[in-house]
Amino acid sequence: MVWLYALVLVLPLYYLLISSFKTTTSIFDSPLAPPAHPEWHYFGDALRYARLDLALVNSVLVTVVALVLTLLLAVPASFALARGQGRAARVLERVFSLGFLVPTFAALVPTFLMAAFTGLFHTRTFVMLLLPAGAMPLSVVVLTQFMRTIPAELEESARVDGAGTLTVLRRIFIPLCMPGIATILLLNFLNFWNEYLYSLVIIGPDTSQRTIQVALPTLQSNQATEYGVLMAGTALTLVPVYIVYVLLQRRMEEALISGAIKM
Amino acid sequence: MAHSSLTTSAPAAPPPPPRPDPTWRRRTATETRRSAVTLLAVPALVWYLLFLAGPLIAMFVISGLRWPGMLAHRSWAGWANYTTVLHDPLFWTAARNSAVQLAVVLPVLIVASFMVGYYLTLRPRGHRLLRVVLFTPALISASAKAMLAYGVLAPNGLLNGVLDSTGLHALTRSWLADEHTALGCIMAMDLWSGIGFTAVLFAARLGSIPREIYEAAELDGAGHWRRMWRIAYPVAKDYVGVTTMLQFLWIFFSSAQNVLLLTQGGPGNATTNLSFLVYNKAFVQSDLGYSQAAGVLLFAIGLLGMLVIRRVLRQTY
Repeated sequence: MVWLYALVLVLPLYYLLISSFKTTTSIFDSPLAPPAHPEWHYFGDALRYARLDLALVNSVLVTVVALVLTLLLAVPASFALARGQGRAARVLERVFSLGFLVPTFAALVPTFLMAAFTGLFHTRTFVMLLLPAGAMPLSVVVLTQFMRTIPAELEESARVDGAGTLTVLRRIFIPLCMPGIATILLLNFLNFWNEYLYSLVIIGPDTSQRTIQVALPTLQSNQATEYGVLMAGTALTLVPVYIVYVLLQRRMEEALISGAIKM
Repeated sequence: MAHSSLTTSAPAAPPPPPRPDPTWRRRTATETRRSAVTLLAVPALVWYLLFLAGPLIAMFVISGLRWPGMLAHRSWAGWANYTTVLHDPLFWTAARNSAVQLAVVLPVLIVASFMVGYYLTLRPRGHRLLRVVLFTPALISASAKAMLAYGVLAPNGLLNGVLDSTGLHALTRSWLADEHTALGCIMAMDLWSGIGFTAVLFAARLGSIPREIYEAAELDGAGHWRRMWRIAYPVAKDYVGVTTMLQFLWIFFSSAQNVLLLTQGGPGNATTNLSFLVYNKAFVQSDLGYSQAAGVLLFAIGLLGMLVIRRVLRQTY
């Protein structure tokens, strides 16, 4: 039974892969047969039809900038929550973890209006600024837990040596929290790269701004959908994710599991 | 009440006389430093309030406005949007579709994932490969999943092709455009992508159960079925609750994008669920007040659902 489900999981992916090399008629006639005469041009077609090349660059740009911004915001905040012991720190931690209960979809329309009224409508800039906010609750909670495990004595001895707060953060906390930082980087990389709905309504159809997730479905809405092109395009969007997954499989699985249960 | 008034009316203790305390200066220095450190959380907080809390509050405000389109004149509408929404048959169709979707997908998803997760912890042959396969849907974006589903379910897609070649031609249909199967397709997609990853989550939790417990149960004659539901389930009940909540939120709110990508709510309104209704009213029909009133109702039902799940599936030992 389990293996049947596994087969159901894999079959569409296999179909995706082989169809990327097959003509439309051969896809229809023998859907599961491997390509007899592999056609390589569908990948190029997909890139050209939907300007996936531009979209790929935009996606990389949005993901990288949003990741950097997330770290710049979350690392100092987690340090503050882990080390500041006053009431303020406790209340703040509560506020951040409340964010888990807010489904991001709920804020879609007001966020869209905000983009419209700030003049950042139809730009990827707004999405770069927006994505880290959604990542804050998880990133802050995960990193705070990591930073709590660092013994206070390490900080005290550095203080005695005259280290300031930022030096303590940079020299002690960040190096020791690398596993935690890697976890949130991986999680947020997946979320940012795969984000669809917000990018769709905020960035819109401009080919020079839109991300790859927004560009991909335009291959389908075309009336004369060529399956080979659609499947090749879909395969292209999966490449970066699978590269990261193959390189960091263990780490990524752990990150996703720990991310999901932090609620 | 009486107790607290008693303590407050008691004369305040006189302040301790200032003593030359060598630790005093250091204490305040540490305290100032601690509050200064708390300031480092401010940028993250600003971001959080601006992009997450702000829009959420704005949703409630907009739901009270008459606002027919981005550039149209806005005016205060009071509860009028809510009345409109609650009297709109489309809202009830959407509510029914969401209810069907949740009632079918959530139990199947959780039970199946739990069983697959239990199977994984037995470390059967090829369990490493199985884990990788189960993991894949978690990596794929909504739009790529939708394109995959389209490739499978389109009139000339994989499913019809397989049915044709196995002599089941009579069963072929255009799955996404048929009002009897369209909602089923959306639900099948939820299950396709949900079971695998949830199973891996359960396996991670169930892996911490000592093998001796299972072995003892086996000696007592308990089969896999009893071991699964009498031992593994009670231990992981809390975890099942959290996972159910997660999936509930996911199905209830995020299926708007699947619907948008695959069926646009059709045919007719067969696949219009509540979250797609919120999207559609705002971005296609430009009725922002209606959309956000429905959004507030969606949000309220979501919170209520989470509370119910939490109550039903909380740890009881």
